[in-house]
Amino acid sequence: MKLLWAVSALLLSCWRTDASTAGFTKSPLSQMKLIDDSAELHCEVIGNPIPEVQWWFVEGEEPNETFTQLFDGARNDRVQINATYIVHATSIIHLTSLTLDDSGTYECRASNDPDRNELKKTPKIKWIRSQANIIVIETPNIVTEPHEVSNQTSAVLSCNLTDSSLLIKGSYWTLNGNILEDSVSADDSPFTVHRLDKITHSNSGTYECVFKTEPQVKQTIEVKTLPHVVAYKHSEHGNENDKGVMVCVGHGHPLPTDWGWFKEEDGNRKQILNGTGDKYEIKSTPNKTTLTINELSIQDDIGDYTCLGTNELGPGSDKIHLRVRSRLAALWPFLGIVAEVIILVTIIFIYEKRRKPDEVNDGHHLDSCLDCI
Amino acid sequence: MPPPAATNLGYTPPDGGWGWAVVFGAFISIGFSYAFPKSLTIYFKEIQEYFSVSYSEIAWVSSVMLASMYAGGPISSMLVNRYGSRPVVLVGGIMVCTGMVLASFGTSIIHLYLCVGVIGGFGLAFNLQPALTIIGTYFQAKRPLANGLAMTGSPVVLFTLAPLNQFLFDSFGWRGSFLILGSIVMNCCVAGALMRPVNKRVQPKPTNESPNRNGGGEEAESVNTGTQSADLLNEESQTASKGQSNVHKLIDISLFKHRGFLIYLAGNVIMFFGFFAPVVFLAPYAKHLGIDEYSAAFLLSIFALVDMFIRPATGFIGNTKWVRPRIQYFFSFAVSYNGVCHLLCPLASGYLGLVVYAVFFGLAFGMLSALLFEVLMDLVGANRFSSAVGLVTIIECGPVLLGPPLSGALVDIFGDYKYMYYACGVFMLVPGIFFFIMHYYNYKKLDEEQRQSVAVEMKTSEETVELKMNQDDKTVDAADG
Repeated sequence: MKLLWAVSALLLSCWRTDASTAGFTKSPLSQMKLIDDSAELHCEVIGNPIPEVQWWFVEGEEPNETFTQLFDGARNDRVQINATYIVHATSIIHLTSLTLDDSGTYECRASNDPDRNELKKTPKIKWIRSQANIIVIETPNIVTEPHEVSNQTSAVLSCNLTDSSLLIKGSYWTLNGNILEDSVSADDSPFTVHRLDKITHSNSGTYECVFKTEPQVKQTIEVKTLPHVVAYKHSEHGNENDKGVMVCVGHGHPLPTDWGWFKEEDGNRKQILNGTGDKYEIKSTPNKTTLTINELSIQDDIGDYTCLGTNELGPGSDKIHLRVRSRLAALWPFLGIVAEVIILVTIIFIYEKRRKPDEVNDGHHLDSCLDCI
Repeated sequence: MPPPAATNLGYTPPDGGWGWAVVFGAFISIGFSYAFPKSLTIYFKEIQEYFSVSYSEIAWVSSVMLASMYAGGPISSMLVNRYGSRPVVLVGGIMVCTGMVLASFGTSIIHLYLCVGVIGGFGLAFNLQPALTIIGTYFQAKRPLANGLAMTGSPVVLFTLAPLNQFLFDSFGWRGSFLILGSIVMNCCVAGALMRPVNKRVQPKPTNESPNRNGGGEEAESVNTGTQSADLLNEESQTASKGQSNVHKLIDISLFKHRGFLIYLAGNVIMFFGFFAPVVFLAPYAKHLGIDEYSAAFLLSIFALVDMFIRPATGFIGNTKWVRPRIQYFFSFAVSYNGVCHLLCPLASGYLGLVVYAVFFGLAFGMLSALLFEVLMDLVGANRFSSAVGLVTIIECGPVLLGPPLSGALVDIFGDYKYMYYACGVFMLVPGIFFFIMHYYNYKKLDEEQRQSVAVEMKTSEETVELKMNQDDKTVDAADG
C-alpha cells in the first residue's frame, strides 16, 4: 500500500514538473515623451501553461501606492492593448495623445497560476511584475528666427532650444522631410543656424530644425516664394482640325492654387473652363495645368498663349507659341518625291528599251527567258 | 573545292557592267527593308500619346512589320521564281508606299498595325528577297564583294533615315511624316527598275569562268569542256538540274534534303536568338552604367559607322582567292567572333570600355551580315537561292521576334545586363563552333563527290576518245580498202 502511494506521488510530481512558472523574456522599457506624442510598451512572458498578462498603472509613492488596471479602450480610447497567446504570451500597450497626467509607472503583470484570480489570496504572491516609467514633459520652446520667410532673396534660419533640461546630442535640418546632409552636426549647442544664400523655387518649402534629444524635438520654418511656372515646350505644333495641347508646370512652395490661360491679342483675353463652345478645355492640378484646343484653325488659333499660376504670394507665368500646320503641308513634298520617282523609273526603262534592240541583234539565242518582261 | 553547282547556271554571269547598277538597286532595297522598321521607333512616343495606348501596344507595330517581312519570304520567293525580281520589287515598293499613306490617315492603333505592319511588312519582304536573288544571277566571281556592298545598304539607310525622321517629325508631325516617308520608300521602285533581268547567253570561254578556284587548271578545263556530260554524271549537278526544273515549280521543298542548307538552317535558327538583342540593348545598357543619353546614342553611331565600312571590306576579303573556296569557314569565324565579343562585354567598364566594345561589335556584326546570304548562295547555288532564302526567312521569323523580348526578360529577372550578354554570347558561339565542325565535314564530302565525278567523267571522255579512234580507224580502213 505504501509502495502504491509512493509510486503515485512520484508519478504526480513527474507530471507536475512539466509545468513551469511564468518568466519575463521581454520587459517594458522606460521612456520620456512629449505632450501629444504616443508611447508603446512591450511585454513578453513564457511559461507553461501560457501565462496571462495584465497592465497596471501605479500612482503615488510607497507605501501609499494606488494601482489602476488598464484595459483596451481606457482613458477615452487613448489606450490600446494588443495581446497574443501563442506558444508564449505577448502584450503591447499603446498610449496615444499623451498628457502630463499620463506620467507614471506602468506595470506588466503575468501569472500562469490557476489560482491567480482568487480574491481570497494575495495577488502579489502569484503574479510576477515588471515596471517601466513613462515621463511626459511639456514640449520645450524652440525660438525660431524668422517665423516665416516670404518672397525674400536670401535668409538665415535659426532655432534656439530654450528652457530645456534635455541632453542635446546634436542637430540637423530637413527640407520637406529630407535630411540636409551638410547641416548635420554633433554639437551640443541649443542654437543652430541654416543659411540660404539664394532662395529659388527649388529650395523653398517646409524647413525643420531637429534636435537629437530623447525625445526628439523640432520646429518648422516655412520658406515661401512666388510660383515658378514653366511650359513643357515653348513651341507647340498642332494639325489643322486636330487638337492642340499645351501644358504648364508649377514649382515652388506653396504650389499655385489658381491657374489661368490667356491668349495674346493686343492685351489679354481669358479662356474659361469648358467655355467658349466646346473648343477649350482646361484641366488643372496644383503642379500642372493643361489647355486643350479642339478643332484647330489656322486663322484663329495661331499665336501666343500665356499660362498664369497664382499662390498666396503672387503670380508666375510662361508663354507658349502655337503653330498650326495645314493638312496639306506634307502633301507638296510627297507629290514632289513621287514625281521624282516616276521620272527616274521612266528614264531607266527608256534607256533599257533603247539598248535592248542592239543586244538582240548580236544573234545570241536567249535561253529559257524566265524573267523577261 | 566548293561545289560547281553555281557554274551550271547554264550561262555566264556578267560579273560587272550593268551588275554594278543592280548592286546599287539592291543596296537601296535591302537598306529600306532592314532600316525602315527600326527608324519608325522615333514616332512611337507621339503616336502612343495620341491614341492613348501603352508602350507595348505601340511596340507591336514594329514587331508586326518585322514578322510580316519574314513571313512574306516564301511568298516573295514563289513570285520571284515565277516572274523574276523586277516586277516583285516594283510591287513591293508600291505596297509599302500605299501602306504608309493609308497609315497617315489612321484613326486607331489597329489601323496602324494593318497598314504599317502587315502591308508595309509584306512590301518590304517583296523588296528583300528579289534584291538578294538578283545579285546571284549577275555575279559569280565577284559575288562576295557584290553581296558585301549590297548589304551595306542597311546601316547607310539607317544612318540617313534616323535624323531625317526626326526632322520630318518636328516639321510635319507624325501624320505628315508617314505621308512623306511613303513617298521616300517609293524609291524602292527606282531600285526595282534598275534590276534588269540578266541576259542568259552561253559563252564558249570556259577558262574565264573560274579564276578563283585553286587546284589544277587542267582539271577545271576538262570539267568545263565536258559540261554537258558532267551535267549528267555529277551527283551535285543532278540535283542542280532537278533544281532547274523545280524553278518552274513554286518553291523548292527538296532543299530540305540538301546537306549544306540544313547545316545553315540549324545554325542560323539558334544564332538569331542572340543576334539582334545586343544592338537593341546597347543604349539602355550604357544608360544603366550611368552614361548620359547623348553619349549612349553616340555609341550606336560608332557601331553603325564601323558596321558601314566593314561590310564592303568583308565582301572584298571574301572574294580573295584564299578565302573564297573556304568561305564557310570565314562565316563560322564571324559567328564565333560575335559570340566571343558578347561574352567579353561585361568586362567593359566605363565609357571607354563600351566604346571599344561598340567598335568590335560593329566589326563582328558587319562581317556576319555581309556574309549571311553569300554563304547561302555558295551552298545551294544561285538557281535555288530564291526558294532557299524564302524558307530560311520564314523559319528565322521565330527567333528574330523572340530574341529581344527574351533578352529583356533576362534583364528584368536578374536586374543586370551581364547575364543577357552571356546568354547572347553562348547563342552565337555554339552555332559558330557547330558551323566549323559541320562545314569541315561538308567540304570533305563535297571534295569526295567532286573527285568521283571527275573520275567518272574522265572515264567517259576516254571511252569517247577510244570510240572516235576506232571510227577513224574504220574510215581509214574503209578508205584504204
